[in-house]
Amino acid sequence: MTPLRGNAWLYRGLLDVDWELCSWSLVRDLRRQGIEITYETVGKYCLAEVDPTFAERVVPGDFLVGEENIGYGHDHDHACISIRGAGVAAVLCDSSAPYFLRNCIDHGLPVVEVPGISSQVQTGDPLTVDLIAGRVTNGRTGAELTFGSYPPFLLERLDEGGLYPWLRKQGPLKKVWVGDVVTSRVGAAR
Amino acid sequence: MSTSKHLGATASHDSAETRRATREWAASVGIPAENLIELGRGGIENMVAIEQCWALPGAPYFQGVNGHVSTVGALGAFASALSYGTAAYLVRGTTWVKVPKSIKIVARGQTRPGVTPRDVSEVVMHRLGASGAVGMVMEWTGDWVDQLSMGQRFGVCSQAIFTGAWTAIMNPDDRTLDYVRSVTDRPFDPLVSDADAAYARTLEIDVTEVEPIVVPPPRRLDVLPVSELVGTPVNWGFVGSEANAFIEDMRLVAGVLADRKVHPGVILNVTPGTVKVLREALDERLIDVLVDAECVIPTPCAGMDGGWNTPLAAGDVCIATGPANYPGRMGSTEAEIYLASPLTVAASCVAGKIVDPRAMLGS
Repeated sequence: MTPLRGNAWLYRGLLDVDWELCSWSLVRDLRRQGIEITYETVGKYCLAEVDPTFAERVVPGDFLVGEENIGYGHDHDHACISIRGAGVAAVLCDSSAPYFLRNCIDHGLPVVEVPGISSQVQTGDPLTVDLIAGRVTNGRTGAELTFGSYPPFLLERLDEGGLYPWLRKQGPLKKVWVGDVVTSRVGAAR
Repeated sequence: MSTSKHLGATASHDSAETRRATREWAASVGIPAENLIELGRGGIENMVAIEQCWALPGAPYFQGVNGHVSTVGALGAFASALSYGTAAYLVRGTTWVKVPKSIKIVARGQTRPGVTPRDVSEVVMHRLGASGAVGMVMEWTGDWVDQLSMGQRFGVCSQAIFTGAWTAIMNPDDRTLDYVRSVTDRPFDPLVSDADAAYARTLEIDVTEVEPIVVPPPRRLDVLPVSELVGTPVNWGFVGSEANAFIEDMRLVAGVLADRKVHPGVILNVTPGTVKVLREALDERLIDVLVDAECVIPTPCAGMDGGWNTPLAAGDVCIATGPANYPGRMGSTEAEIYLASPLTVAASCVAGKIVDPRAMLGS
């Protein structure tokens, strides 16, 4: 996995998965119109409520940089789909909301928690992000920030483009694993 | 598997298609038909999980989507959604967690009349802040928590994600264990936090100081005392969602609405969270009160939350016990959602404007 290179896009404040990152009601309404929610169909709505020009101006490979608790709120992955669809290569933040972190990784979009990054980066800064070494370098300022690198099993999935591309590479799926909860009789409890 | 949580009895073709697709998939992978909890049988999936004790004290509990699974943490389970990763978990049987830190809430005292657990939990979250517990587990403790009924405990745990937290949890006590034993014989090993456990942060609150609150749109944690919003006209009300769709909440609403009617300019939607809650509300004659007060009582589900049932139009102003107030959450992005307790919602729907519920108590 080679280091990622691109320009930073810094957005301050609370970035809610259901509003600032990508309007939940807009996605609901797209579904009602029979439009499938894919990277291609919702990438254009990324950050539209904060910066309507972002989706047009962002260059594939760029980074979305936020403050603390990026991806605030529900475990709705339409925001992750939208960010990846817009061409963002990784999300950098002071900290991430937990479901946003999981959903982005599962969608093949790295979320890198680097405390203090929001004060070390301005929009337009060229950044290099090395997920294996755990290092972010700002080409404009020369500043270098380190972060805890991902465990190898997650790096593997990111390398494949996400959880499901990785899963498909594990070989043909023989059958759906059906565990206790699903096979036991629901309602057998008193 | 519960498919009726948000859709309820939505009269739309795509909800019918969702149902059909789910039925076909379930049949194709061998899920027994009775495990598909459909209309007329279930409701909000977190509440069904609680009623069936799919989650147990001392064990992790994973479900598909919905961060409000934190509700289930009141059983002393580590409750998490798997969200996009759910199908992979079903196939492989394993998932991963980044072990979270815990934040301890110590809530002491007794609330004053007219103040509900919803008001207390909102004040606590406001004090923590939207980013006060990022990635953490909110552990609710204290003698106030100890005296809550199970339904009240579940509601208190339901909103954890709005502080940046992953989930919520409560140490199982006799009340919890009695509840679980009343539902199931399955074995479990309850865990409680060590007395010297390390927490990232502790927040203490004396609940006697809590007043009824309202959260105006659009920010989730701009929690204000109701006095600052008294007089705001409303034309919709909603009581429901896993924050407040338990029998305890139905009783609160019926207590306000007895011998009163919803204001002529207001529609009040009261959605019991599950069929079981509806049955209990019927048995306690609470539904009689709601019907006589001219409420709308949809089939058990998440009700107006999500905008699927009785959605809001541009210009509508709704006071609700739902989980979220961001634009479009209950329909139009040009509608406004104010969040509040079941008492405040009911009282405001009688008045036609936001009021302090204490003005309507005992009269």
